[in-house]
Amino acid sequence: MNVRQATPYLVCAGLLIAVAAVAKYAEHNHLIGPDIAQRATLATGGLVLAFYGNAIPKSYCAWRNPAKAKRAQSAMRVGGWSFVLAGLAYAGLWAFAPLKTADLASTIVVASAIILTLGYTIWAYALCRNSDVVTQTNADG
Amino acid sequence: MNLVFKALADPTRRRVLELLRKGPMTAGELSDHFPVSKPTMSAHFAVLREADLVDVQKSGKAVIYRLKLSVLEEALLGFAGTFGMRAGNARPDGKPIALKKGTTP
Repeated sequence: MNVRQATPYLVCAGLLIAVAAVAKYAEHNHLIGPDIAQRATLATGGLVLAFYGNAIPKSYCAWRNPAKAKRAQSAMRVGGWSFVLAGLAYAGLWAFAPLKTADLASTIVVASAIILTLGYTIWAYALCRNSDVVTQTNADG
Repeated sequence: MNLVFKALADPTRRRVLELLRKGPMTAGELSDHFPVSKPTMSAHFAVLREADLVDVQKSGKAVIYRLKLSVLEEALLGFAGTFGMRAGNARPDGKPIALKKGTTP
């Protein structure tokens, strides 16, 4: 990844820090309540997660083996979609849901996305390994 | 983003992207699905590459294309296919469908 490609992600990270700093400053000066500051910061975090998730399927994949490339592509698509949807849900929950509900539900949503992505990736990797073993066995036998 | 919309506006290019969803394919394998000349297919591939929707790897003599869609671009592809622009509605040669007399576009 070169500087030009990394710029949007660095801007996003900067935005997240800026929103948190502005919200803290506004809260400290009694311009907004503490719950608004928390909601603004965490909802922005959800949008940033969705932005990062959007780029996952576009990331570089250097598999030479077509079967592995296919599995890697599908794993990246599943990861991308799950993180985008989780990020949007996280942002929506922190923007609109009651704080207690948002606290629990947002954790469940993001944890589900992580488990789904990891689970699918491990499953896809295992399939690739099994196909390698079968190919090796056939070649030996 | 204009390049992406331009690439997704054509039914043949959308069909190429739908085929690549199944996994990476060589240029020859992709071309086999379309009764169009190789230069025409090359032009379609060039538009997709320019829009950064596909990735190209050379493996010996074969040129392998891989899908490189972000989630947003994939959603746009889905919308383009859903709202009356499905690749199946296009002529098999990839040219636009001719309008009947008395109809308006």
